[in-house]
Amino acid sequence: MSMSEQQTLKQQVTLLELVDRVLNKGVVVSGDITLSVAGVDLVYVGLRVLLSSVATLEEPRERISAAGAAP
Amino acid sequence: MIHLYGVVEELEALPPVDGVGAEPLERRRIEGLELVVSRTALEGSDVTQAAVLSHANVVEALMARSGAVLPARFGHAFSDEHELAAAVRTKASALARGLTLVRGCVEFGLRVLGDDKAPENGSRELSGRDYMRARLAEEQARWRLAEELHEPLARLSRASARFGGASSDLLQSAYLVPRQEVDVFGEHVRRFEAAHPHLTIVCTGPWPPYTFAANGEEDA
Repeated sequence: MSMSEQQTLKQQVTLLELVDRVLNKGVVVSGDITLSVAGVDLVYVGLRVLLSSVATLEEPRERISAAGAAP
Repeated sequence: MIHLYGVVEELEALPPVDGVGAEPLERRRIEGLELVVSRTALEGSDVTQAAVLSHANVVEALMARSGAVLPARFGHAFSDEHELAAAVRTKASALARGLTLVRGCVEFGLRVLGDDKAPENGSRELSGRDYMRARLAEEQARWRLAEELHEPLARLSRASARFGGASSDLLQSAYLVPRQEVDVFGEHVRRFEAAHPHLTIVCTGPWPPYTFAANGEEDA
């Protein structure tokens, strides 16, 4: 993976980690969290796009190791 | 409606940032706990990427100006001051315990992506039993590698958590790290990264302690 690919990947993972924290972690003071399915879907569609870019970026690395170039 | 960002300690002044929907931030004191809120026209269920990022931005700004922050989870707007006060009163002792836990700490997230190595060549020729053995050995190697990274980091931390049972990631975890241990923590990660250049390691942080904010409830 090139340096710039690595950089892009890290930025994407960071955004993913951020959204995951805000929506799924944090203290629930109210006792009930009422996220509408439509709303969550909107945000998670964004996340799936991120995840699939991560998968795409993974491929070159796997090809390199399969060719025996990895240490 | 009232949107809650978190419970804070020793907040000097409100940060100069807008809340969700560009609403100004406000402070509340309930049961001796200090809260940061904003008015909102949105129902708690109106999740948009912009609202999520605004919430995160406020919590981040509070983190820089407070002794401790317990980030609130996005997803509930209180209908009025009474509902907010009643909810905080019900949870007051758990919230106080949570603040004690996270005080002086920041959170780090860790993802080690994908697999350690490519599948063994010639795996097509293996018998079913040998294939299963090879897979098992591979799984054990992955597990040991994850342990090698996670264990010393968990020891440095006040609390830690591992996630993603079904994920293909080698490790997905979070650590509540005392500020004075942050350099040592980073050094551990860098050393592991250098020793395993074929792995893609993404260490994120310092975050506000989202992952550990609800830990005070578990001790109740």
